[in-house]
Amino acid sequence: MSANLERRYRRVLRLLPGWYRRQWEEDMVAAFLDGWLIGDLEEDAAVLQFCRPTWAEVASVAGLAVRLHLRGPGTPRRYAWGQALRRTVLTVLLVHAVVAVNVLVLLAWSRPLAGWLHVLPSSLAVVSPPSVWPAVYYLVNAGWIVIFLTLALGQYRTARVLAALAIVPDLVALLQAQFTGIMSAPFGPWPFWVLLNLAPVLAMTAFHRDAPLAARGPWLLALPAGYLLVYGPLMVLQATGNSAWLPDFPGLCCILVSLACLVHAPRAWSRHAAGTGLWSLTLALLAGVAGAYRIATVTDYLNDPHLINVSLAELLILLAAVALIAPDAARAHSASPGPPPRPLAMDA
Amino acid sequence: MTAKPMTGQSFFVLTALADGPRHGYGIVGDVADLSQGRVKLKIGSLYGVLERLTAEGLIEPDREEAHDGRLRRYYRLTRDGRGALAEEAELRAATARVVRTRLGLTGPAAAGAAG
Repeated sequence: MSANLERRYRRVLRLLPGWYRRQWEEDMVAAFLDGWLIGDLEEDAAVLQFCRPTWAEVASVAGLAVRLHLRGPGTPRRYAWGQALRRTVLTVLLVHAVVAVNVLVLLAWSRPLAGWLHVLPSSLAVVSPPSVWPAVYYLVNAGWIVIFLTLALGQYRTARVLAALAIVPDLVALLQAQFTGIMSAPFGPWPFWVLLNLAPVLAMTAFHRDAPLAARGPWLLALPAGYLLVYGPLMVLQATGNSAWLPDFPGLCCILVSLACLVHAPRAWSRHAAGTGLWSLTLALLAGVAGAYRIATVTDYLNDPHLINVSLAELLILLAAVALIAPDAARAHSASPGPPPRPLAMDA
Repeated sequence: MTAKPMTGQSFFVLTALADGPRHGYGIVGDVADLSQGRVKLKIGSLYGVLERLTAEGLIEPDREEAHDGRLRRYYRLTRDGRGALAEEAELRAATARVVRTRLGLTGPAAAGAAG
């Protein structure tokens, strides 16, 4: 019968994938117990009976578990999920960065520092109530641009730390609004914070040491391109008095993901294009985020049947677009397992 | 595409195995000694490194020995592991020489200061 300490450690090891435990568990347990036992029968018995794995030890196993779940050796399914998750996080951060560029452009446009520009239409001016919050808001927005660039350039740890800091002011403002009823700055609502702030920050654990570097060029180019392609038409619509055609932010997310699915669909259906599955899986994940965001914010329009219908239409369009790439995404997801991990056979 | 640089943990684990096979906890102890106590590997971290080095073909299991009713698995360097460790050691030594030169810790001036 195993001792308490060993049983507790084995319980922690259940965090690890089954294939890994089959290969390494006994060795890990032996090495772990070697670190505790000193060869004194009485003292060792007490240690085995009463001691527990330290938090640092548990954290090291948890960190290993996250890395292995996202990158199993020779397991394309896990690799596909890890890659799709990393691309999803990068895309969400790209959205943050594009929004931030827009906020800073509007700020520059509405302030004397860019006085040579035409006067900004009042509908586009950024409202700045007299407090510290506007400064925090602009700082956080500038921060998202830095975070996106840092992650795209492969500085994973720096990006994770900055992102964890960047979501704090929004949380503070939301909690303050919860208690006082006053939103201090134009941060997003709770669904925005949970889905587009907290979730991607947590998912940034997928950018671990072994994660392959993203292609820098296309991601860096995506920032100016994304700003021009998204905010160009939106600003034209707004400045020309056609604001009625503007979707709200969740609706815009649904439309953009739907368009991306439509653009990607021909490649996903092509028999000649290879390696499209990862992007299909990424778009499916992004559709999940956009759809959840849309559903969570529909309640804002309970008094307006027209806007509820618009929201439902956006969801239907999103569903139809995702259906086009779903078979390709499923192929990437259910890729047959590759060769088993290198066996630990001893030849000596 | 260039190879990923070797991490400090991998370097210490390979160095611990350079003079012969060791079991898991033996590696932990040797790494702590080699790093003068600065690198204290937790078991989860150690087996993350061992798994990666095994997958890369730099180390391999050597033998298993019974100890207090449990099996200790010993690991050893492969030929590729020796090569990779030698290459990394050379790279680090060259970097260290540059650092010493730039800090003025070599040459007549440094010798004079030392004397």
